[in-house]
Amino acid sequence: MPREVKGMPFIQIRELKQLKIVRTYNEKWAGNLVSHPRPQRPGLGLTGYLKHIQAGRIQIFGKTEAGYLHNLKEGDRGRCLKNYFSLNVPGVVVSENLEVAADWIAVAARYNTPILVSELHTAPLISRLSAYLYQYFARKIKMNGVLMDIMGQGVLITGASGIGKSETALELVNKGYQLIADDVAEFYLDSNDDLVGRANEVIKNLMEVRGLGIININDIFGSSAVLEEKTLDLVINLEKWDPKKKYDRLGEDNLYFKILGLEVPMIALPVGPGRNLSTIIEVAVRNFLAKKSGRKTYLEAKKENPSPEAAGGSEVK
Amino acid sequence: MIEKKQQIINKLGLHARAAAKLSHLANMFSSDIYLIYDEDKVNAKSLLGILTLAASVGSEITLQATGEDEKEAIEAIGGLFDRKFDEES
Repeated sequence: MPREVKGMPFIQIRELKQLKIVRTYNEKWAGNLVSHPRPQRPGLGLTGYLKHIQAGRIQIFGKTEAGYLHNLKEGDRGRCLKNYFSLNVPGVVVSENLEVAADWIAVAARYNTPILVSELHTAPLISRLSAYLYQYFARKIKMNGVLMDIMGQGVLITGASGIGKSETALELVNKGYQLIADDVAEFYLDSNDDLVGRANEVIKNLMEVRGLGIININDIFGSSAVLEEKTLDLVINLEKWDPKKKYDRLGEDNLYFKILGLEVPMIALPVGPGRNLSTIIEVAVRNFLAKKSGRKTYLEAKKENPSPEAAGGSEVK
Repeated sequence: MIEKKQQIINKLGLHARAAAKLSHLANMFSSDIYLIYDEDKVNAKSLLGILTLAASVGSEITLQATGEDEKEAIEAIGGLFDRKFDEES
């Protein structure tokens, strides 16, 4: 169920500690909606070239903008501010704790524009803000399954309810791998087109093991057993062993799982008596890593270097 | 597949104990059962999944079941909502 977000109240960014917001002006309009994930620096927009200033984007004022405005004659400055603020941008963030002159505030107020002042330099301000906005506006989806970090790979273990996902995950945690989310993982597409998964805040660090109830992995195994978020590399689908179904016997299947338009490699693992799932999953990830680094599968190797028998006879009798 | 809209009428909403009862009940049926709330859809057999909805009193949940015993499942789970998860008299 992909979900697109229409807008975010501008004020929400004030709550982000990493942005170090120290002052707010025109707070009355702080609820204006931001509708674009990329912040914008007005730059030449202040000189009157307004063609590319987009309503809906958070505006960043750095030393350049502030210095330019400061050096204008009073009448010119009023005209320039009026032209710019009449575009009704959702809000302005000023960097480096620069002073905001009274006439800016007044003109911004006339056009319902709030102003926040941050202590950060312009570059980190923009990068932190865009990282946050990208995540906010990203397409999101909830997937049923356990998301884990196994040997540095983000692995989502899926399968029908009661098949043993959580139990297998618990074994993997016990082996030293990290849990990101049990049962429900939330994915979003980040600015690099990577699928990043994390747990819903309500169930972060929690795991449900039938017979034990809900346990907190962070409390029991320590903070090295949990991770905040992880890019998805591999899906492992556990399914009930079906004697009629043909499972991959030669390691040649290339299955994919589609999430948010991306194809993620998938392995279908049949669950049956006597199969130690956590070890099989561990080996599956090792094999996945080997393939990723260019190692050939058994069949590919065989094709390139056929054994004497297969080539039609051997020399030694 | 059948669907049924269901209002949460118990004071505490879908808190842990209620969610546990709900997932326990859902696990008795072979059908695939989902709870849909706003844009979120979670497996009713997953306790943690239900908790992520954080649905409070007054919210409307859509129950959705697909399978051989879908009718019985919706009836039983709907009943649990109506009985306020057996926690209030």
